[in-house]
Amino acid sequence: MSALLSVNDLRVRYPVRGGFVDVVHGVSLDIKRGETTAIVGESGSGKTTLAMALCGLAPVYGGEVRFEGELLQRDRKNRLNPDRKRVALMFQDPVGSLNPRMTVRKALAEPFRIHKVESADPDREALGLLDKVGLGEDFADRYPHQLSGGQARRVGVARALALRPHLLIADEPTAGLDVSVQGEVLNLLSQLQQEMGLGILVITHNLNIVRHVADRMAIMYLGRFIEQGDSQQIFSQPRHPYTAALLAANPSPDPDAQPGEIELKGDVPSLLQRPPGCEFHTRCPGVREKCRGLFPEVSIDGEHRQYHCFYPLDN
Amino acid sequence: MTAPVLDIRGLSISYGTEAGALKALRDVDLEVGEGSIIGIVGESGCGKSTLISAIIRLLAPNAQIVQGAVNFKGRDLLGLSSEQMRALRGDEISMVFQDPMTSLNPTLTIGRQMSDVQHRSTVSRSEKNACSVMMLERVGIPDPEAQLKRYPHHLSGGMRQRVAIAMALMAEPSLLIADEPTTALDATLEVQIIHRLKELQREFGCSILFISHHLGVIAELCEEVIVMYAGEVVESGPLREVFIDPKHPYTRKLLECDPARIAEPTRELPVIEGSLPNLVNLPDGCIFKDRCSKAEARCGIEPPKMSGDGHRAACHLLDHFQETSP
Repeated sequence: MSALLSVNDLRVRYPVRGGFVDVVHGVSLDIKRGETTAIVGESGSGKTTLAMALCGLAPVYGGEVRFEGELLQRDRKNRLNPDRKRVALMFQDPVGSLNPRMTVRKALAEPFRIHKVESADPDREALGLLDKVGLGEDFADRYPHQLSGGQARRVGVARALALRPHLLIADEPTAGLDVSVQGEVLNLLSQLQQEMGLGILVITHNLNIVRHVADRMAIMYLGRFIEQGDSQQIFSQPRHPYTAALLAANPSPDPDAQPGEIELKGDVPSLLQRPPGCEFHTRCPGVREKCRGLFPEVSIDGEHRQYHCFYPLDN
Repeated sequence: MTAPVLDIRGLSISYGTEAGALKALRDVDLEVGEGSIIGIVGESGCGKSTLISAIIRLLAPNAQIVQGAVNFKGRDLLGLSSEQMRALRGDEISMVFQDPMTSLNPTLTIGRQMSDVQHRSTVSRSEKNACSVMMLERVGIPDPEAQLKRYPHHLSGGMRQRVAIAMALMAEPSLLIADEPTTALDATLEVQIIHRLKELQREFGCSILFISHHLGVIAELCEEVIVMYAGEVVESGPLREVFIDPKHPYTRKLLECDPARIAEPTRELPVIEGSLPNLVNLPDGCIFKDRCSKAEARCGIEPPKMSGDGHRAACHLLDHFQETSP
């Protein structure tokens, strides 16, 4: 089956005083229908910029993106223009992404008006959507400040899914939510995914949820995917040392857990001064001479497993 | 044990709202022993923020302290004048906030902000700078002298949070309150910060009150934990006991919901059915009864009191649970 979204060598570059900074640095990725792909990485690694670029909210410097086989063209400002009916975005801050002066009903009917979906009765659609995300009709006339974080998140899901998109890009869909509510939102997304065959791209730094919801995952570091592949495989057998450190560092709520941590030295380098050679060598516990001078090109291992490392981990 | 650094007794706080008094905190007891690390867990709306705002006396103007006492090293903080309170903040009690980007001033250099927090000290500027450099070194920031001239946006998230910790520890406080200090960081940096906090706590001997809804972080750092729900403390005790053998049904559910504790990957994550009670018109009896699968008739009549020794919980069915568990 061909991919729903196919990204090839995507770059996002911003000018800065005295040069430029590559925030997304040659990212390639395929997302299939009905599949969830997670992008993990720390703040500043370029996750959100990547999502923005895919939705046409950030300029693209290079690379190709195909959506349902069709090459996306760039507009005058170098932004991609995917069909926003088919690609939906859920933003990080659920309350902040709703207009404080619009009732839930109005916010949910808006996509139909903007995209001039004539067949639909926006009002009825709005109520149907509310029902779908498990909120009663009495929520229709509330304003965003009258919603809890979890409810606002549900409205965000409803609005994103209003036009029955084929791809949903969810930027930190559970950030700031409590564990119990987090489960509700993720269950809802999984359920809707099954019903609608939606492809989902989740951006998060919460590894615990990735393990449960993602079919595939990509680990981002300094704007590149340093490793990507099947998420169960990556969890059980990381090949890149950064992935291994990230997985080992995930604090466990079991007080008796033996911390198998791999201590990473130092800090994330600045994007303005990318280290030469392998960009992770400044913090890598297994760094060797070769890593300091040469950039490791992508290695392919099994089906779709990719990583950038000269000395990948074995076990 | 020596007298606790912080001793909160029967603290109740309400917010005045149009609908009536919102009882955000009810009869909360909390003790922070000297040199101990206490974690507070609870979901949004449980009163964590109201509790810490009350300790540092930065409550919203519509908040009213209904009753209770906050004792800090033998002084009742609620009875202090605002000048006396200001003298304590940043000196004996300091805070690390959630987001280091907004808690640092973006228009001032790190050096300027670090010497500003030493405003009580009478030493010269160069000596203050030397202190700043020393503190930055202790929190593990490379090349500290150069950092003094930089602005917060020059630093990565992890570095900024370490700067915030360095500033909080500058005056060698007796109590450090950390409000979700690692939420904005990725796992590797989160662990770095937690280890650093543990080390610094040992060096400085201060007590830490650590607020988080990340159960893993609490398990990694704290010795004792307090679980809050809808404005009440529902369970407290040594971390191991609470996390391995939770007594309150809410704590059990909370732990069950944590995806990190579910070994097999699943698309159907557990949730706590129902929603938080209305804190303006409090329900009768136990605050958790509407979401509790084991609730009985008396849970709807009489509010349960905290009981137990060391590991305490507020639930009518405690004896029942103990009898049924082997």
